[in-house]
Amino acid sequence: MRFVLRRLAFYLVAFLVAATFNFLIPRLMPGNPADIMLAQAQGTIPPEAREALMETFGFINEPLHLQYLKYLASIFTWDFGLSVKYYPTPVIDLLTRALPWTVFLTGTATLLAYSLGTLFGIRAAWRRGGRFDSLVSPFALALQSIPAVVVALTALFVFAVSLNWLPTGYAYDPALEPGLDGAFLSSTLLHALMPVLSLGLVLVGGYLVTMRNNMIGQLGEDYVHLAEAKGLSDARVRYNYAARNALLPSITAFAISLGSVFGGSLITEVVFNYPGLGNLLYTGVIARDFPLIQGQLLIMTLAMLVANFAVDLAYVALDPRLRRA
Amino acid sequence: MLGLLKIFLRNRKAAAGLLIVLFYVTVALAAPIITSHDPNKRVSRPHQPPGVEYVMGTTRMGRDVYTQLVWGTRTSLMVGILAGLIVTLIGTVVGLTAAYYGGATDEALNFATNVVLVLPQLPLLLVLAAFLGQVGPLAIAVIIGLTSWAWGARVTRAQAMTLKNREFIQASQLIGEPVWRMILVEMLPNLLSIIGFNFIGSVIFTIITQATLEFLGLGDPLSVSWGTMLYNAKNASAITVGAWWEMVAPCAAIVLIGVGLSLLNFGVDEISNPRLRTLGAIGKAMKLQKKLDRERLLETEA
Repeated sequence: MRFVLRRLAFYLVAFLVAATFNFLIPRLMPGNPADIMLAQAQGTIPPEAREALMETFGFINEPLHLQYLKYLASIFTWDFGLSVKYYPTPVIDLLTRALPWTVFLTGTATLLAYSLGTLFGIRAAWRRGGRFDSLVSPFALALQSIPAVVVALTALFVFAVSLNWLPTGYAYDPALEPGLDGAFLSSTLLHALMPVLSLGLVLVGGYLVTMRNNMIGQLGEDYVHLAEAKGLSDARVRYNYAARNALLPSITAFAISLGSVFGGSLITEVVFNYPGLGNLLYTGVIARDFPLIQGQLLIMTLAMLVANFAVDLAYVALDPRLRRA
Repeated sequence: MLGLLKIFLRNRKAAAGLLIVLFYVTVALAAPIITSHDPNKRVSRPHQPPGVEYVMGTTRMGRDVYTQLVWGTRTSLMVGILAGLIVTLIGTVVGLTAAYYGGATDEALNFATNVVLVLPQLPLLLVLAAFLGQVGPLAIAVIIGLTSWAWGARVTRAQAMTLKNREFIQASQLIGEPVWRMILVEMLPNLLSIIGFNFIGSVIFTIITQATLEFLGLGDPLSVSWGTMLYNAKNASAITVGAWWEMVAPCAAIVLIGVGLSLLNFGVDEISNPRLRTLGAIGKAMKLQKKLDRERLLETEA
């Protein structure tokens, strides 16, 4: 319990640090974001809105610490201002619309990649140098160094453009009305297939290599030899003894990989024009839509922290030492 | 030194990786010799497929893909190495300082490291690049360098902590060696493999991230690099009009250098941690043993 509380406190502070960065970035950068945005928007924003825009960034005639406090208050009330690109839609509406798609995409892809990578890693380590290992491990090493953008572009070219098997983009057929009927759901799955698989492919190599290396470390330990000497079945030694312990460092590695999960999903969403947070951030960045960008960064940080916390909880469930501490 | 090289080359992964990396370095250095004109010069009609005159075809703007690729190698390697150096320097200093001084210094540095580690990096880079406007390759290298040091710092710290309790470090403390000597002469050499691992990993990460940022349109479109090539190809809808060569060339270049650097890294890892090696000899011996066991089993049954 104390461990969980300590982690929670850490995430709260980390969130405040991120929020402070978010507050400082537009103030440290050259130029005034409100003016850049007005120039970019080319007439979609009425000039009267300039004052309101300035206020969105806290560029009000008040000392810095008051600006900061006002900014913090706006975060905790989820008030990120109005989007410029989609004026006058509030940023929070855009975010809540995009969030489920990103959660769906990253969740499915990570789950798939982590389970497959871990299972294959266990197998590869068990017969080190065997046929499975010498086939799968070099492949995983190569996969690990292939950027998400290359995988996504290749998949797009081969399966959507050349073979014309799968749709080139978006989350569902735009002709369909979103709802819980069969046609819409199957269209969603069909559109998700390529993004999920290419993001999964980007991630699976890293998980496989980490698990294999951890597992090899465990297989050299005395307790594994004891288990073998006791005559336990291979499967029992492999999964209940070695793999269970090899899983702990692999979960830490998983937490660290969350950054690349979000980065990878950003690229995948842009390439496949998938309506998630990453694509929204990209649109915002290209349009220099600063309220949208700032809201995005906070939401993404929050998502990252929540995912990290989930990993911590998994760690507590797997490591009995932490439950007592 | 020569002995070290021999050990290095005996590892097949490391040797293959080194070969690939050397090839890229040669291409980058020889760029003015092996190309005949400016990479941004329009030499031909748009989207000429690969042929005798232009081995890798031409872009939508009628630029020679091969020349762009060669000059892009220069930019991408330079950015990768510069950012790698920054990452390694900050990571090593932070990690070593935290481990050596311990106490409140360690708490503070470790906290900073963990905070940087849980921030979403690519979105943050995207936002920084957006506020800075279209940035050149050098600025990208510096931004990536300044935001990516946390992982290295964490690993270096962990390794340095285990060193701190070894006898030779305690001995040097008892002799009364100055702090700088203890860190630079006693600890640093024992951390070299982890620092090298960190450096190579950072170079891979930077090359990939730079290409990604530029692909998204956040780089300076006039500079020549693999990322801007991808960006231009995307803008020219190279994929949908069937001009695959414009997209494939930079993609292949990125993948191959990534594979080369990873091979190098895993080679280094295997050399310093023999357990990870997949030695052919062990595999063969194990198979033979199994066969013998089976035969013996059959004999006893018969």
